[in-house]
Amino acid sequence: MTATVRHDQARGDDELLAAIAAGSQSALSELIVRHGRGLRIFAARYLGNAGDAEDVVQEVFVTVWKQAARFDPAKGRASTWLYRITANRCIDQRRRRALRSFIGLNDVRDEVAAPEADAEATTAARQELAIVRDGLSRLPERQRMAVLLRAVGDLDIAAIAEVMGGSVGSAEQLLVRGRRALRDHLAMAAVGRERESS
Amino acid sequence: MTRDEFERYRRRFGDMVEAWPAPFRQQALALLAAERRDDPDAALDRLVLEAALTDGDDQALARKVLARVEAGPARASFVPHLFFSPAGFAACAAAVLVAATLAGYQVARLQDDPSDAELLALASGSSLADGGGVAADAQGEGSL
Repeated sequence: MTATVRHDQARGDDELLAAIAAGSQSALSELIVRHGRGLRIFAARYLGNAGDAEDVVQEVFVTVWKQAARFDPAKGRASTWLYRITANRCIDQRRRRALRSFIGLNDVRDEVAAPEADAEATTAARQELAIVRDGLSRLPERQRMAVLLRAVGDLDIAAIAEVMGGSVGSAEQLLVRGRRALRDHLAMAAVGRERESS
Repeated sequence: MTRDEFERYRRRFGDMVEAWPAPFRQQALALLAAERRDDPDAALDRLVLEAALTDGDDQALARKVLARVEAGPARASFVPHLFFSPAGFAACAAAVLVAATLAGYQVARLQDDPSDAELLALASGSSLADGGGVAADAQGEGSL
């Protein structure tokens, strides 16, 4: 059932990409509405900067507009292709930012706006999410990418491996290590809070 | 995701939650599975998704992208793009270094182009004031 439904979803994206390749701007608009949010969240948390993420996602969809004809549905899902383009752009952006920082053109600062307060009902929940965000920012880059591709992009291990350009085994290792590090970070934060309260 | 948001997205994407695009799909499934105890990895993934959420306007994003698409290809900016990539920056730095070295050699060669008299003085070990060891007249030339 789920597999059938996901096939329909993939076919919808494939059709949109075919229409984009034929020059349909409305199809591009629809694709942005479908996937823009996920790509932006992924880029923002990977880069740690909302402004950079916005630029990256714009570049991604401009690339999609130019290269939609090169997408081959036989080789994988459209969402995997989109996340692969985004991941590559994020890596380029991170290198550019590191170089600009190295030559003194700007500071590297992590700036991602938190969601509005009403989305996080309680203080405890807000604290937990803040700890997760902090833990994410401390993960090694490739582990962070794997965790975000799984959690935000809803990609399976094979798709994560395809996006990251590695083997399925290495993608799984990255995901396992990233999750373990996040759990350790959450546990340490919980211990710290208990000590403060006692 | 709240129940109101879920209903709004259901009108937008249809009843089949599994067919919704990410990350709406995971949020909806998380809402539906809130009472269920899933595996710890899935729970952590949901927590990460919740923590990763940021505010943003998809319609505004679409407008900006379409504006860029309609504006056509950006003016060629090869040099800045090359400069801000690490490989490009290294290549530029190496090119500048080589060019500076060659220019230095060229300038030095022009400034210090030795005359025949100077070379002869250097070879004979005499000073340039002595004429570089060259006899003043042809008769004295073989008098040594």
